[in-house]
Amino acid sequence: MRITNLLFSRVGKWSKQYSNLPDRYIKRAMEQVYWRNPKGIQYKPNAVIQRKKYLFTLNRPWTAEFRQDNAPGKRHPKVFVEPIKEWSFFRGDRVEILVGKDKGKQGIVKQIIEERNWVIVEGLNCELKQLGNDKDFSGVYIRSEKPLLVTTEIALVDPSDLTATPIEWRFTEDGQKVRVSTRTGRIIPIPATAEETIDYKTKATYKEQPKDTGANEVTDITFVPKLCTFEMDIMENMGIKEDRIPAKSYWY
Amino acid sequence: MANFNKITNICKLFNKININGTRKLINNSIDSRNIFTTNAKYDLMEFFDDKKNWGVQEVKSGRSWNKEELRLKSNADLHKLWYVLLKERNMLLTMEQEAKDQTRLFPSPERIDKVEDSMENLEVVVRERNKAYHELETGENGERPGKMETSVFGLRYYYKMCEYVVPKHMNKRWHKKYQFYKYDKDTEAFLLKYREKLYMTKRRKQRRDFNHVIGLLNRFPNMDMEALKHHYPDVDINKAKASRKYGGHFAPK
Repeated sequence: MRITNLLFSRVGKWSKQYSNLPDRYIKRAMEQVYWRNPKGIQYKPNAVIQRKKYLFTLNRPWTAEFRQDNAPGKRHPKVFVEPIKEWSFFRGDRVEILVGKDKGKQGIVKQIIEERNWVIVEGLNCELKQLGNDKDFSGVYIRSEKPLLVTTEIALVDPSDLTATPIEWRFTEDGQKVRVSTRTGRIIPIPATAEETIDYKTKATYKEQPKDTGANEVTDITFVPKLCTFEMDIMENMGIKEDRIPAKSYWY
Repeated sequence: MANFNKITNICKLFNKININGTRKLINNSIDSRNIFTTNAKYDLMEFFDDKKNWGVQEVKSGRSWNKEELRLKSNADLHKLWYVLLKERNMLLTMEQEAKDQTRLFPSPERIDKVEDSMENLEVVVRERNKAYHELETGENGERPGKMETSVFGLRYYYKMCEYVVPKHMNKRWHKKYQFYKYDKDTEAFLLKYREKLYMTKRRKQRRDFNHVIGLLNRFPNMDMEALKHHYPDVDINKAKASRKYGGHFAPK
């Protein structure tokens, strides 16, 4: 596995889902390349020197804040992240908080940070931050949610009795993968908000932008199988005739 | 004088060809209106975005074309789409450079990646079609040939072949440029050290993973062992548990 792939695979699927950004952009925005070997005959072709260790916090990898956190030369203490088999918390899930002053309260998952096993629950587990305090001015208090660990600090809520439950991934008879409450055996459906992105609520309600190709035009089948290459077909369409016989050449 | 006449004649010829060419292009672009989304302007302002999008914070755009969708399209459509994408990319890169020059914000830079993704997918689909044709007609895939070679440094790499007018044994320049591995004492010495370096990097990674697993076991005693095995398949977990670094009175927060 290449280093670039390794680096890229660190940004979890669900942490970038809401942003609706192409993977290529996320990779381009977060990578810090210090040296790339020039093309040509090299002892080590395609060698790249780049930052390998990133600190993931609440700042998303494509933002300037992330770049500031991981500025060149900045190092961080190692973060241990518990490996998880499968991610089972999605945006819009109702979860119960198991620790802190909001222990026992239920809330809706607002944001997912898969790299740290974190989830942000709307309006719960908050902290107050004092900003701009001065000698004469007491400052402004800003309330912001703190992240919660999915492994120990929250639990999904069973929709049948609205109490916290451990879950398991199982298959239905149709072969569909579902989350099942191990206490009651009820299926906990994945909320529709899990598919929501910054650009649309659901795929069906996406508002087309001026440069978008319409859905009908995209699915319209214009392909006709033909015994010719792409170039031959285009030349035929454009009326370009090519009868010249190429000179003998050698491939090596 | 004769030479000058020749040149003028050639110029005239080129002019004629050019005029015909542009006319054809214009006609074609009018035919393909179903894909074109902007009004045809045919001037340098085509390199710039719509004035409405100047200085805004964000420009909304859809996603890129994927391969499945492109496979539905005819060659002519793909050809047109390629130029639509190319023009869009040119426009975006111009806008990016302009924003950089004026130290302004370039809104939604992910548009460039979306266009480039589409272009890559389109190229893949076209190559698929060409490969299918060549395999059916000639039994070969028609791609640029290549093979694994050993470089002067004794390292294996993929050598992409080129087309030449003269055969290999007559091509002195090629022989001078491309030298492959022949036994050499110094290179062998280099390779020995190079392989040692690779081995050491591998060992270091193994040790790092092993120690990391111990760290995880110490911090998360109720961890899912299957997940741990899945993430660190090379680490012997029983051996990690037998290590003196495991357990003890270490109590992290």
